[in-house]
Amino acid sequence: MRSSISTISTNKIIQMNEVWTSYDSKNYAVKRVNLSIDRGTNYAIVGQLGSGKSTLLKLMNGMMSPSKGTIKIDYQKPNMNNKQFKLMMHKIGYIPQNLGLIKNITVLENTLIGALPRMNKFQSMFKIFPDEEIQEAKKILKLVGLSGKEERKAYMLSGGEKRRVAIARAFMQKPTILLADEIVSELDHVTAREIMNLIVDAQKRMNLTAIMVHHDMQLALEYANRVAVIKDGEKILEIGVEGDKIVDFQTGDLTAEEIMEMYSNESKK
Amino acid sequence: MNQKNNLIVGIIIALVVVASYNVDANPVEFFEGIPNLAIVAKEMTHVEAELFAIAFWSMFETIQMAFIGTIVGVAISLPLSMFAARNLNNKYVYGPVRAILAAIRTFPSILWAILFVIMVGLGPFAGVLAIIMYTVGFVAKLQYEAIETIDSDPMDAVSSIGVSKWQLIRYVVLPESAPHLLSQMLYMFDYNVRQTSILGLVGAGGIGFYIINYIKFFEYGKAAVFMIVVLVTVLIIDWISVKIRDKYIIKSQHGMEVVTK
Repeated sequence: MRSSISTISTNKIIQMNEVWTSYDSKNYAVKRVNLSIDRGTNYAIVGQLGSGKSTLLKLMNGMMSPSKGTIKIDYQKPNMNNKQFKLMMHKIGYIPQNLGLIKNITVLENTLIGALPRMNKFQSMFKIFPDEEIQEAKKILKLVGLSGKEERKAYMLSGGEKRRVAIARAFMQKPTILLADEIVSELDHVTAREIMNLIVDAQKRMNLTAIMVHHDMQLALEYANRVAVIKDGEKILEIGVEGDKIVDFQTGDLTAEEIMEMYSNESKK
Repeated sequence: MNQKNNLIVGIIIALVVVASYNVDANPVEFFEGIPNLAIVAKEMTHVEAELFAIAFWSMFETIQMAFIGTIVGVAISLPLSMFAARNLNNKYVYGPVRAILAAIRTFPSILWAILFVIMVGLGPFAGVLAIIMYTVGFVAKLQYEAIETIDSDPMDAVSSIGVSKWQLIRYVVLPESAPHLLSQMLYMFDYNVRQTSILGLVGAGGIGFYIINYIKFFEYGKAAVFMIVVLVTVLIIDWISVKIRDKYIIKSQHGMEVVTK
């Protein structure tokens, strides 16, 4: 299941140093977070509703900027107005919690949106997708298990299928980083694991770094190389996992009792 | 009902009576005038059959004027509404565009028609220009409001890919707002047919031009024939647009069937 991290463990693709950020001036959604994520790994962020885990993802693709601290994505500072980072954004597949599919267009068209930054003005204005992009999109749709459904409109799909389209769109970007916000929440046990396996398999093949937000601790431990637990915007715990063993255990400022309480809250869900 | 309500109703009735006296609105005259309608109806039976051909032809001209006005008006208003939407621009862009649109909307179409009759002379072209202006001012507002209600999830997801603003408009804004845009266009066409029917009153072409001329020369029977043609046409267009709306727009909003193009 897990990709090897032994040879490239010094290669940090995402580094956050003492990062704070807020939506309004009073409350910080993310507080003093330090993260460093190895290239090619599966990194899980676990926390309860409103803990700031989605905000962490938005910081990683430049949709939000930190009010304090520094972030480096592949050694670059995220900034949506910077041309250089816009090219970088194309390499970051981002799947928001509500997926952000365009419901009135087909599965194939939704997938091809991932190729838009590679197209010139004329092609994109008249929806003329190059043949090789269409072939690539069909290949990816087959990979995610949607072949034969290319011409379906997005709103006609089931919840699991919609998630597969969002994954296909992200893969179409030929990403180096995949950010997924609760992509398997609200799915049944079997479908959730199917989709997780899909991501982990593709991750190995493409040497992708996947950063996935979960609210299910069990799922995170099962698939991730490292798991960070976020509570009230702070990282309170980070675990390294190898097979069934926890190999590394770092706590923040919390006591053992508080961590145990956190765990039991997670498992109740 | 208590005392106070009775008093309010009494005052309102008194106001209506006083106002009617001031504007010479006399119900007796209304009832005495009813037989005059019979004269008009009788005159209608005396009009020649060719008149219907003229009536339908001028109605057809009216519909064509409304059609050009609606299509060109929507084509102009669509880019303007993209600049006027708050979720796509900063306030230095949408502020001035909205101000211009509001200024265009302050003129009713009949005033635009007078202005264009002065500019390009009598005839249907002035009417078409008036319809275009009215459509731009009105439809652009409906459109930017529809664009502002688009779901922010696809916007966020697609803009995070690093696409250009034009690509965002082409691939997210247009498909997501298409059912609304189509519905507004139908509504506008419907409305413009009715509007164009009266633009002839100021010499801007269309069926209204005939109606006002017949009335001037006391040929009420002929005028009535033209009015009936307007009535029937508007009813038919209304019926067709309801059908189109049911087929494409209502269903798409319930996620059953969808129009993208």
